[in-house]
Amino acid sequence: MENQEALRQTNIPQVQPMSEKNKHINRRKLIMNIVVTVLLSLGSVIMLFPFLWMLLATLKPGYEIYSGDLFPHEWTFAGYKEMWTECGYMMEGGIIRGFVNSIVTTVPVVLVQIIVSAFAAYAFAKLNFVGKNVMFLIFLGTMAIPFAVIMLPQAWLYGRMGLTNGPLAVIIPKFFGSIGTVFFLRQFLFGIPDSISEAARLDGAGYTRTFISIILPLIMPALATQGILSFIGNWNDFLGPMLFIGDVNWKTLPLLVNDLNGAGGQMEYVPRALAASLVSLVPIVIVFAAFQKKIIGSIVFSAVKG
Amino acid sequence: MEANHVENAGNAENVSSVPSVPVVEAGNKTKKPMGMGASLKRTENILGWVYISPMVIGLLVFTAIPIIMSIMAMFYQWDKSLLLFESKFVGFDNIKSIFGGLDSATYWKAFGNTWKFALQLPLGMIIGLFLALAMNRDMKGVQAFRVIYYIPGVMSVVAVTIVWQNMFNLDGYINALLGSNMDWLKDDFGITFVVNLLLIWKGVGYTTLMFIAGLQSVSTDQIEAAKIDGANSWTILIKITLPALYPIIFYLFVTGLMGAMQIFNEPFILAKYGIDNNAMTTVSFVNYYFNQPGGLGLASVGAWVLAIIIFILTAIQMLVDKKMRGDY
Repeated sequence: MENQEALRQTNIPQVQPMSEKNKHINRRKLIMNIVVTVLLSLGSVIMLFPFLWMLLATLKPGYEIYSGDLFPHEWTFAGYKEMWTECGYMMEGGIIRGFVNSIVTTVPVVLVQIIVSAFAAYAFAKLNFVGKNVMFLIFLGTMAIPFAVIMLPQAWLYGRMGLTNGPLAVIIPKFFGSIGTVFFLRQFLFGIPDSISEAARLDGAGYTRTFISIILPLIMPALATQGILSFIGNWNDFLGPMLFIGDVNWKTLPLLVNDLNGAGGQMEYVPRALAASLVSLVPIVIVFAAFQKKIIGSIVFSAVKG
Repeated sequence: MEANHVENAGNAENVSSVPSVPVVEAGNKTKKPMGMGASLKRTENILGWVYISPMVIGLLVFTAIPIIMSIMAMFYQWDKSLLLFESKFVGFDNIKSIFGGLDSATYWKAFGNTWKFALQLPLGMIIGLFLALAMNRDMKGVQAFRVIYYIPGVMSVVAVTIVWQNMFNLDGYINALLGSNMDWLKDDFGITFVVNLLLIWKGVGYTTLMFIAGLQSVSTDQIEAAKIDGANSWTILIKITLPALYPIIFYLFVTGLMGAMQIFNEPFILAKYGIDNNAMTTVSFVNYYFNQPGGLGLASVGAWVLAIIIFILTAIQMLVDKKMRGDY
């Protein structure tokens, strides 16, 4: 990205294109645009096809699942009914309880994690304290440690602490912030001039008050984006809850769906597993539809600033 | 990218570790007014640590302690129902078991499978690059395409993998469609193909968006100039676009390889559990031995071998990166 400036400086005399040539270029561009649109549309079909197949398969009876026909011959909601009863057998409260568990293990995590990370990001971006850069490097270093190394002692530790009998083992550890979020917010805070907070401090506001009343509102968009990404990540998480939740009645939706799918491949059980899968996606679809601009914008931001 | 920041942070550290020198560095973001008093400095010292204290506690309890435990566990036949020191001390037995011993074949097979499932990384990046070039055009509908290609990436891995599992089942839709009789989920080639395709499908939207962001920094003037000089699109791609995208390519590759080495969910759900099959990955191995009596030690060795390999790979990439940047 640095060489971009250097490239800009190499001045090349602009050749004035003739209108005849311009027309030619325009037509070529139009043809290319059509070709590209057609190709990207074909690709879009591939990207979305599994979801279409999934939706239609939930409306098939079990014996129709494994056929080359996309649409059901016999439309039925049996898959959804079976999903409802079967989930009721698997845990108290059935699929509703699964939703409750997923919400309980997701929403508090998102809220607390964001606040804790925001304070840490503020410290790393705007305060001068002894050991700041060493600590930041240590935190960045922990991102390189594979989850596989720490997940087993963690599972054992949480078991000893009695956290695995409920949802707490997936909640409490995440309350202590996320370095990825800190990194992102720190970049964002660098973009806020120091003069703003200095003015507030000259008026007698302390650091904490300055942060809460001046800085936090300014970085709200970044906090929201990180919150949404954290929500999606935690809602979809599988390996963590699988290791850390020992109580059947506290299983989150991905665990419940996975259990319902069992070993997979028995056609009479497939519609209910797919129905549960589809239902578990609904909150994500809603969140993504509502915030897709923010989510995609954050990726662009991290690509440019990261 | 990330590497850059580590370097920058390192430089800033050198500056701020000498507090008596007035801060004049242009690049220093934490510049303070010259008249900053000693008490203000003390306040920042205390508050800085207060603000990061939850993260420090979290780091100690939930990362540092487990790391120490897993290092020690390598030398014990640790059972998850016991305290570490109540378990049998076995010295280097666990390590020997993975290097040439009883579990060697299983572990290294899992390791090999992990690499097979990493083929998606370069392939996905190439596809993502072309998609980004296509979506970086000035035409209607690109915004919608960007969203559509990203959708699989945000969906629950369990849900979408179950869909793929049933589509690629021996009696499933894909075989019916192709008129084939391929056991996609059991066959070695089949599972490699399905896992890689699934990962590309899930990840290509993210890669594309990263490349689109990178393409914004490519100089259009230079491309125009090259066109006037008679360069074709391919030359422009190789000579101008790719070098400009280098930081993104590097970032995607480093983080992508870290992720690929830790793949677990997709093959685990697709091929359903068990060990010693074509879908078992290194993390599956670690997860499997957690639930075996006395298996925590062996699992820890498996995890640390993986960690060290990841560290080495990352270090190599950083060195290559340094050399590449030096060549510019």
